Amino acid sequence: MEKGIAEAFSSIPEGGGTAAIGAEEKKKVRVMVAIDDSGESFYSLQWVLDHVFGSRNNDEFLLSIVHVIEPFPTYMLPGAPAVFPSTSIVRSVNKAQEENASAILSRAIDMCTQTNQDVHINTSIIEGDPKEMICDLAEQMQVDLIVIGSRGLGKIKRALMGSVSNYVIHHAKCPVLVVKTPTTKSMSSNA
Amino acid sequence: MDKSVMVVGIDDSDHSLYALEWTLKHFFSPAPEKSPFKLVIVHAKPSATTAVGLTGPGAAEVLPYVERDLKIIASRVMEKSKEICAAKSVKDVIMEAIEGDPRNALCDAVDKHNASVLVVGSHGYGAIKRAVLGSVSDYCAHHAHCSVMIVKKPRKNTK
Repeated sequence: MEKGIAEAFSSIPEGGGTAAIGAEEKKKVRVMVAIDDSGESFYSLQWVLDHVFGSRNNDEFLLSIVHVIEPFPTYMLPGAPAVFPSTSIVRSVNKAQEENASAILSRAIDMCTQTNQDVHINTSIIEGDPKEMICDLAEQMQVDLIVIGSRGLGKIKRALMGSVSNYVIHHAKCPVLVVKTPTTKSMSSNA
Repeated sequence: MDKSVMVVGIDDSDHSLYALEWTLKHFFSPAPEKSPFKLVIVHAKPSATTAVGLTGPGAAEVLPYVERDLKIIASRVMEKSKEICAAKSVKDVIMEAIEGDPRNALCDAVDKHNASVLVVGSHGYGAIKRAVLGSVSDYCAHHAHCSVMIVKKPRKNTK
């Protein structure tokens, strides 16, 4: 009779017992993708879904999608007449930003579920300076990889306008993947 | 299915070997054949003249020794990276040693292999050191024609 029980156990597919124990022992790899309004950041999310999550066992990964809202500036430049925006304006701008943020995140989640059913996703919306918030949150959540898009600004534009990806590369404590959207010129030469 | 190409830049430092190990651990295990990437390891060997930087009368005599030293370092680096690949049982690897400035060598390798990702290590220099010593990872992040992954070796903090 014992032989029969042993045979019954061996017929259970391997994904049942041992794999679950293995997953608990292995630490999950956390990947954080920073999203904003731009097409480049959605391209970076799609790239991660295709290349990183493509063929692997998706139980090992935890994907965090993060959107940072820049706070509405409530000060004016020195020299300009000191006009503070009224609270109703601030409130409506905040509300618009929150709606925008949740629209962006739901687009991102749709993209994930379309590409890959099994990925574990969690999302966050934070307020603050995007560069610092991304680095701080990555440290708090102990992520293993930050993924960020790149707008492909030149050196001068980058110095003037500021670059989130540049800051994150220098200040993050964990590996950073900067995904570049291919320009139409390179895409047509590949086709 | 055509695999996309991943180029990993290696030099003599621990940081770049750590970057290679990290990449293999996360992208090429447990089943290296099933990975969506084809691995190309590029070592940029600086030429003797750039390493020495002398233009005095004694330079010509020193150069052969420096060149020999650099070749020894280069082959040691290639050996170490081969060992790391073998340890993770990654077999389908192309290894290249290019002579010249690492920044240009890595960007050229990306174009040559039509890579979709370039992986480099990072020394973790602060802003001043980076400006003075120059940063290959910085240059590559801005100028490579593909996505760039910068892998940092975690500092050993006493927490």
